[in-house]
Amino acid sequence: MRHDGDAGTGIRIDGVLLTLGDDPPLPVLGGVDMVARAGEVTAIVGPSGCGKSTLLDVIAGITPVQEGSVTFDAPARVALMPQRDALMPWRTLRDNVALAAEVRGVGRADARALADHEIARVGLAGFGDHYPHALSGGMRQRGALARTLLAESGVWLLDEPFGALDALTRAEMHRVLRAVRAHVATTIVLVTHDIAEAVALADVVLVASPAPMRITDAITVAEHGADAGARVLDALRAAGVHA
Amino acid sequence: MTSAPAVEPVAAPVPTHARRRVSWPRVALAIALPLVLIGIWQVCCWIFAPREWILPSPAVVAQAGWEVRDRLWYHAQWTIVVTVIGFALAVIVGSLLAALIARSRIAGLMLYPWIIVSQTIPLVALAPLLVLWMPEFGAMVTLAALISIFPVIVAGVDGLRGTDLELLRAVRALGASPRWVWLHVRIPAALPRWFTGLRLAAVFSVTGAVVGELVASARGLGALTRLSAGQFETPVTFAAVVILALIGIAMFLLVALAEWAALPYLRRATRPGTR
Repeated sequence: MRHDGDAGTGIRIDGVLLTLGDDPPLPVLGGVDMVARAGEVTAIVGPSGCGKSTLLDVIAGITPVQEGSVTFDAPARVALMPQRDALMPWRTLRDNVALAAEVRGVGRADARALADHEIARVGLAGFGDHYPHALSGGMRQRGALARTLLAESGVWLLDEPFGALDALTRAEMHRVLRAVRAHVATTIVLVTHDIAEAVALADVVLVASPAPMRITDAITVAEHGADAGARVLDALRAAGVHA
Repeated sequence: MTSAPAVEPVAAPVPTHARRRVSWPRVALAIALPLVLIGIWQVCCWIFAPREWILPSPAVVAQAGWEVRDRLWYHAQWTIVVTVIGFALAVIVGSLLAALIARSRIAGLMLYPWIIVSQTIPLVALAPLLVLWMPEFGAMVTLAALISIFPVIVAGVDGLRGTDLELLRAVRALGASPRWVWLHVRIPAALPRWFTGLRLAAVFSVTGAVVGELVASARGLGALTRLSAGQFETPVTFAAVVILALIGIAMFLLVALAEWAALPYLRRATRPGTR
């Protein structure tokens, strides 16, 4: 695949401020500075409702920046994987995955062939004709992962992608994500409120304050080894989160 | 292209034998209630022997219906044509209005409240006016369309506005154009609710046609009920009502069939053991 050799694209975010609504105006991002290095997994850990998802929307370009800047090292496509799998109930698994190619103008038949390849890659060979309602939660998230793979994007934004799964399925999805990542180099920004998940999957864990959100600390997992989780917890408390 | 999967595969699916047969016990259950009611009606007529022009027995209605079948068919054709054209108009105009209201905030603010207010006007009262303004056939069709357009608009607007936000986020991040999002996300997501509106509209369109015929027409089953009741041909009136009910049921079933064909993913019962 085209993206297999790439390292992904680094992302730099400087002083991003964002206020939503006007009655009353709600400050969501209060000056976010962060770096996601190319080819690494950067996790953002913070309390619910602190603005993590909004930050992903800003990176994805869905929500325009009001102040500050988001810079990609190189032009890159972005794929976003939300908490609920966001598969279309009216499309089969194959067609759900294929849409990642369809939106950039690939014809239906070619998109389907590409989709079948990615479906096999996430271990769902034989399920292409199934509708999402006939698949388990973990299988649907595998499907969403296959769609993300087919997007051939340099940046993956994962918004609590495993938050709705039970513990066993979540552990299985962590394995799947790691295995897929071994073959695809891409920059991943993972939003989660699960410290264990952040430490298990990420190279760097960024700690977010309650809204309006700022990044208060950055912890490199490899430097702290088994203590990384405790360091993240301390940093969250220091940021004013009652964890 | 690498061929080996990167992760352990999920066990391949077991093929399901999804071909469903007609379940006769279910069919029997579905038609049991009307059969029992007709039976009670017939027995009551035997016991109490009411005058035929007040309450004819089901057997008398069936016999009268068969005797005047040419007359029934003559009027039924008119009602069917008015119903179908009125329904089609309601679906086309209603869907376009729903798309406009869902698409444009200004159109929504200007139109939607007044469409709701318009439903407080008793349409029966409009029938004589419509006949004054246009040819009889046009007036009947307009009434049928006016009565059945409301559920199409409401269901269409709700469906188009109710798209799953996470779905929209995911496709927008992939770079989908607004046009692509409308065609491939918003419209397909709205179809189940739209069809619910269509099923209501299908039944309402029969009511609309009959209301017009009752008030201001010499043709159609609505006119036949008025004329026959006025001449104490009560069995014929009943027969006309039965045909009207059958037209309503047929309209409903046709829409349900279209829905079944258009939305295969909603046929969940074919996969045992899944939600």
